Amino acid sequence: MRQLALYGKGGIGKSTVAANAVASWAEAGLRAWYVGCDPKADGSMALLGGRKVETFLERMREGAPGEYEVGEGFKGARCLEVGGPLAGVGCAGRGIIVALQALCRDHFSDPPDVVLYDVPGDVVCGGFAAPVRQGFADEVYIVTSGEYLALYAANNICRGMRNLGVGVGGLICNAREVPREREAVAAVAERLGIGMVGLVPRHRSVQECENVGQTVVEGAPGSPQAQAYRDLAKAMLANERFAVPRPMDPIELRSLLKELTAE
Amino acid sequence: MVLHPRPNPIVAAMYTLRDMDAEVIVVHGPAGCGFMASRRLEDAGVHVVTTGMGEGDLIFGAEERLVRTLGVVQERFHPSLVGVVGTCASMIIGENLDRAVERAGLHAKVIPVDVHGCSGANTAGAIRALEAAAQRGVVPQEELARQREMLAQATLLEDARGLTSKEHLSPNYGVTKYTAAKRIRDVLAGGGEVLVVLNGKKELAYGHADVLRAMRECTERVGGNVEFMANLDPEVGLPRIRRYAREILRDLNVAGVDIDHVTGGLDEYPVAGMRASSLIKRGHWDLVVACGIVHAIPDLDRSAVLVSDQPREVDNYMREGFATVVSEPDIHSRAMGATGVLRMELADTLRELCREGA
Repeated sequence: MRQLALYGKGGIGKSTVAANAVASWAEAGLRAWYVGCDPKADGSMALLGGRKVETFLERMREGAPGEYEVGEGFKGARCLEVGGPLAGVGCAGRGIIVALQALCRDHFSDPPDVVLYDVPGDVVCGGFAAPVRQGFADEVYIVTSGEYLALYAANNICRGMRNLGVGVGGLICNAREVPREREAVAAVAERLGIGMVGLVPRHRSVQECENVGQTVVEGAPGSPQAQAYRDLAKAMLANERFAVPRPMDPIELRSLLKELTAE
Repeated sequence: MVLHPRPNPIVAAMYTLRDMDAEVIVVHGPAGCGFMASRRLEDAGVHVVTTGMGEGDLIFGAEERLVRTLGVVQERFHPSLVGVVGTCASMIIGENLDRAVERAGLHAKVIPVDVHGCSGANTAGAIRALEAAAQRGVVPQEELARQREMLAQATLLEDARGLTSKEHLSPNYGVTKYTAAKRIRDVLAGGGEVLVVLNGKKELAYGHADVLRAMRECTERVGGNVEFMANLDPEVGLPRIRRYAREILRDLNVAGVDIDHVTGGLDEYPVAGMRASSLIKRGHWDLVVACGIVHAIPDLDRSAVLVSDQPREVDNYMREGFATVVSEPDIHSRAMGATGVLRMELADTLRELCREGA
């Protein structure tokens, strides 16, 4: 069983990348799981025809975590949303820890081929690091664009992963059409010592498919955009280069980007 | 680094709420948090209840649980003053005590104390409780300022010579009561001059004061002279603490003990100890018997007899070179709810020896 985790700056498109990767694997015949760790619990909707599934923590709160029903979506992809508290109360991080422990205990007795954990935002507390700390995901990918703040967040995540001693498989560029974006992300990845595993171009089909509750792989299967997701999903599974990253000083990151723009 | 377990800010906040005469204390956290301290506070007449947080509350928050608990507290106990203390669990997840108290809308005055086990020294919990109480007019600002100063001094004292002054202290029960009592009896029987210093901390003085009564009784039986020094000023501190001093003075008076030197109030032990030290240096004593928070009294002669209610402090004192150190650990449980001086084992042993020797 391969277990991968996606991290990245909030709003960078992690859930879109994650859902399309899981759809690609499912389409290829793999038993694939999407595990959403965001309390908003909306990352799997594109795999489920726009439906929201009951969250694992809601079911646990009702006293029956063992009866949680995992959602079944596009091509049999399994979808589990950890869920969590409303904004401003409780502890979402603790929720992730508890849910993943139970998930491992109750749901992976018949291991799937690949599990993708979609982890919200930056690494902010021990709970958000749980997917990589407790024997779950052993492969980390960081979604970014070529914009400074997205790369800044990616660098911070690398710092967290270095503290945890976790190997990172690389950066994924979810393009925003920033000038020289591919070069910028590739250069930063190289400097971090982890490489760039793939690039997904920006295209309106992503929003069009999301509007109808679908991934691009499902909603526009013949499009170049769908193929980009398939290529990325394939590259992630084929990747064998994992390294504990070497985070940069933010000033160094800025200079690197400035150099690239000046060239 | 200090390795041994020691009092924490949550418990200090609870005790401080007791000092303010809170009738109910709500512990917002897991059912076992503060369990031992709660039992003792219940012995002092305070109702302690818990919101009993569970795993689900950690994740989703427990504000509803606190609001419900406060409602039950009002129905069951009809209090006029209620304290709510945080715990590690509730405070780390960011529970909003003020909002819950406001939502509960109790008739009683409620003091929410935002405190948890990692808030710093235990005195930090006491200060937070006093600040919250002062904000709501339960404690005057001048009293808050005085207490802040005392608690700051207490923290410095513990770091310099007390519980946090050594990397590790093991519980030690010291010498036998017989050994200590015999030493005191022998000095008195030889016509010696003995100074008895009580440097008490709040209710614990109900126990330590029995040594003063026994000393008076013994001088009448076997001879010698004794002077008494104590921080029993009944005009200092919160009303409850003043009551302790009044009740102890009443019982000492009945036993024929007059305090020759008053060094401060019962919550002033860090500075009262300094005052005691300078008074001790002015006289010549064949023996000094010091009870209570004795490390607050600097430069004590190593021949002094020390009485402590804390076994780890006994270890501390013996490692500092004091040979005759006695522990009276059960003062902690027996003093809760006391309204008069308690009979203690060292004092009773002294009485027995002096009767035999008379």
